[in-house]
Amino acid sequence: MTHNLARKRTALVALAASGAFLVNACSAPGTTTESTPQASTQTSASVQTTCGTDNITMKGYFETGFPLPKALTDEFTKQFPNVTWDVREDQFAVITQNALRVLADDPPDLMRLPSIQQAVKAGVLLNLDEYATAYGWDKWPASQLEQLRVNSAGARGEGSLYAQGLNYSLTGVFYNKDLAAKIGMTEAPKTLAELDDALAKAKAAGITGIAQFNGGATGGLAFPLQNLMAAYGETAPINDWIFQKAGANINTESNLKAVQHLQKWIKAGYFADDVNSLDYAAMMSRFTGGKSLFIFDGDWESGNFDKTMPGKVGFFLMPPLEAGGKQAAMSAPLTFGVSAKAAHPACAAFFLNWVATNQTAREITVKIGGSHPMGAQDAFMPEVAKDTVTAQTLAAGTKIGVDNGGMDFIANATSSIYPKSWTPNLQKLVAGEVEPDALLKSVQTDYESQIKG
Amino acid sequence: MIASKRETVIGRILLILLMLWTLMPFVSLFVTALHKSGSYPAGVEWPADPQWGNFALAFQSAQMGALVWSSVQIVLGVVPISLVIATMAGYAIGHLRVPGHKLLLLLFVFGLTLPFEGIITPLYYQIRDFGLLNTRWAIILPLIGLFMPFSVYWMRAHFVNMPAELSEAAEVDGANRWQIFWRVHVPLARPALSSLGILLFLWTWNQFLLTVVLVNDPLKRTAAGALGAFQGQWGTDIPLLCAGSLLIMAPTLLVFFIFQRQFVAALLQGSMKG
Amino acid sequence: MSQPPAPSHPSWDRPSPHFGSRAVGARRGGVHKTSPRRGRWIGYLFVVPALAFYLVFVIRPIFLTVQYSMYDWNGVTRATWVGAGNYLKVFADPTLYGPVLNAFELIIFFSFIPITLGLVTAATVRRIAESRLAGLARTIVFIPQVIPLVAAGIIWSWLLASNGLVNQLLRAIGLGGITKAWLGDFGTALPAVGMIGAWVQLGLCTLLLLAGMSKIDGSLYEAARLDGAGPLREFFSITLPSLRQEIVVCVTVTVIAALSSFDIIYISTQGGPGNSTLVPGLQIFYLAFSENRVGLASALAVTLMVLVLAVVLPIQLLAREDNE
Repeated sequence: MTHNLARKRTALVALAASGAFLVNACSAPGTTTESTPQASTQTSASVQTTCGTDNITMKGYFETGFPLPKALTDEFTKQFPNVTWDVREDQFAVITQNALRVLADDPPDLMRLPSIQQAVKAGVLLNLDEYATAYGWDKWPASQLEQLRVNSAGARGEGSLYAQGLNYSLTGVFYNKDLAAKIGMTEAPKTLAELDDALAKAKAAGITGIAQFNGGATGGLAFPLQNLMAAYGETAPINDWIFQKAGANINTESNLKAVQHLQKWIKAGYFADDVNSLDYAAMMSRFTGGKSLFIFDGDWESGNFDKTMPGKVGFFLMPPLEAGGKQAAMSAPLTFGVSAKAAHPACAAFFLNWVATNQTAREITVKIGGSHPMGAQDAFMPEVAKDTVTAQTLAAGTKIGVDNGGMDFIANATSSIYPKSWTPNLQKLVAGEVEPDALLKSVQTDYESQIKG
Repeated sequence: MIASKRETVIGRILLILLMLWTLMPFVSLFVTALHKSGSYPAGVEWPADPQWGNFALAFQSAQMGALVWSSVQIVLGVVPISLVIATMAGYAIGHLRVPGHKLLLLLFVFGLTLPFEGIITPLYYQIRDFGLLNTRWAIILPLIGLFMPFSVYWMRAHFVNMPAELSEAAEVDGANRWQIFWRVHVPLARPALSSLGILLFLWTWNQFLLTVVLVNDPLKRTAAGALGAFQGQWGTDIPLLCAGSLLIMAPTLLVFFIFQRQFVAALLQGSMKG
Repeated sequence: MSQPPAPSHPSWDRPSPHFGSRAVGARRGGVHKTSPRRGRWIGYLFVVPALAFYLVFVIRPIFLTVQYSMYDWNGVTRATWVGAGNYLKVFADPTLYGPVLNAFELIIFFSFIPITLGLVTAATVRRIAESRLAGLARTIVFIPQVIPLVAAGIIWSWLLASNGLVNQLLRAIGLGGITKAWLGDFGTALPAVGMIGAWVQLGLCTLLLLAGMSKIDGSLYEAARLDGAGPLREFFSITLPSLRQEIVVCVTVTVIAALSSFDIIYISTQGGPGNSTLVPGLQIFYLAFSENRVGLASALAVTLMVLVLAVVLPIQLLAREDNE
């Protein structure tokens, strides 16, 4: 018996000892240094504005399914053979999930970014102010970069520059000209009522109106929704909400009308009946396969449509309520940033500047990306044939500039507002599980808790 | 025991249904893989123009060679180490019965039902602090730890049934404990070890959560993790995705068909004993 | 299977029946022939490596998870102490306890269906278990256990798509009216995910039960036949009671698989549509690594670990009582 007790005691001592080793950190987890966005105070003379001559390998982290960044890095290596690229790709939803961790723990030199605010707050994104001064980016039209600025209070839209664009994209409505002809639609709708009418005619003719993607973690119904929001109301409050300005609210009178309008479309059967399981690729294959009259999408597909369906696709901006009214569109730089811990930050900045200024790079941007290149107002623009979709989207970009109707995307308000709030809520709206007012309330609640939290 | 005719027929029909239920998905996958890259084939229909090249394309874009080699390296890291240290622990707890062996066993058994998601968050920070993120060690080291409960339990179950006389005979010959262990016990434990080896190989090869969280580079992942990355990269191209999935599954299936008896036996024992 | 299955013999230190005759004391005496003190320490040396790995990579993280769960922490900057605040959130917020309910619903598919079907199959094919066909079937039905769950997720996402094989078959038998995108519909997404789990688990359960049946004494059935028992009574009075051990194992393995599911859902639905297929494992992953709410993720993780124990232990104890 005593023998037994002795043995038990030994074991207990051993266990206690191991316990002491286990709970070695009773202090709060996390670093002790609070990192806040630092305004850069240095002069521009201190940054290197070349990639140097040593052989270096740049680490890139890009989005799957978009050939532009890869095409640009390949061309860059052609022009600067000492710089090679090691590129990893993931779907956007995955990048959104990984952003903070990757920037902090596996720092890329150049990374496709979702919303930048959280990353700036966490101090893992490189402040680009010095490079902006050195390269003269601050002489570009201010609207190009304002979405990429974050001030010291953590609000977006002003302050230091934390990212750059590879181009400036724009979203609207693409339509299939053959299907449009079938329902007698010879030109783009001029008012929202005309668009409703076209959808109704398509429904009557047994044609799927909009095979929008809305499955998995990607609520693509946010595209038509935000367009409707801009048709029913002003763009400024929407931008304030996305930029996390104090007191901003998505749950407004005009936005409610927009959600109700979207619900009307759903109930009328204008969307494909399986939108909740369509991913982006499925939407594209339906549209190119002639199985959808419209899709709400961005000009990054223009080049693609000009290749696969030449002359068969048209593009228009979301029509206003009244004919001739102001038009708006989600328009955002294809955001790329540099990790605060990147190995080659100067070369990354040089590349970003090269993309906006080099003639070949700008040609690639337009031909492959289909969108407007970044850069100065008077910079070189490649020729684009009149009857292409690319020409139509570039023209639409000019119109948005005139109307000052550019908006960032409502999915970019916080890093998880899209997968965790817009997407489930829009999927519920399709399934009839949520009403418009409850949807906006729920998104606003999530938004507030995510900003706090 | 002679089965009646009717029973036999029903039994056979059921078996065939069961096999169809298991295999149909693979047939669908295979047929889809032969469609034109980028198309959206409907259900199962034999393509007019089978694209056998898809497999070559998927092989290249998935960098299959590097990927399988990576999984092999991870398996080679996890399985031998786990087998050796679990056997030693099982021997001490089951055969030597060191003081406190019951408590030790209880401690290991406690980990048997642990869902990996339960500890993945601190594991991430721990691996980061070790500076091992995005390396194969990030998968190997935690997996060895996570497999210990089952492995120790399994080996202990074997050693508990080893008669004490074995050691006594060897001790008389003047062998020390270490020699007894290696010369007498390990050879006798071979069947238990090989089954455990098979199970650990499978669980390592198919481990997904750890790879998603701890390793970004598909070429440093397990097969399952690489498949996830492949879906991330090619999920937009269904035929290519199907071809790639088949290729990534092929090595395991091949090994399984060669050693099917051992596999089935190990898995059945594993769930019964474990 | 990404997880070691759970113990089916909770009575881990009962001497096994085959060696019941050997007195425990005798064995102990035998082993400790060498000087007891030295032997003791050498014995511990044998345990140290396994224990070290286990403590560093399992036990320490468990403690840390509990610790994190008391803080509000974004994983990067400084954490603030919130005590039980995160747990209150878990029990109050439907996006946090909803996944737990979903996981319980998955048990129906991961456990109940495979075990029921497995029993029926095993009972039916028992008499032809030695045939060539059965041998082939044994290999085939095991394939889902061998492939990664990720692969199962990819395969079935494709089968269940609106133009996938499932709908094609439905149309072929005249049920075109009920075709839908199974994984994209609020009503069917969770059952559809569950079916993937059922497909994975069915083979294992069937084979386990079949192996159990082969151990049943044939004379029992003979006797029942002579008593004029039909196949149903045979099943309920002989087969089912004799298989208790195997059934408990199946339940344990599949229930753990259901509660800690991650791979299949990560691949097939990412928790959508809405949050209708969100499960704790995936929600922990999202909270910790995409929303950077590490404290909340850890509170949910602790909840999940406790939940698994709370579900599995009673099953084990029940089985144990039955055996005594």
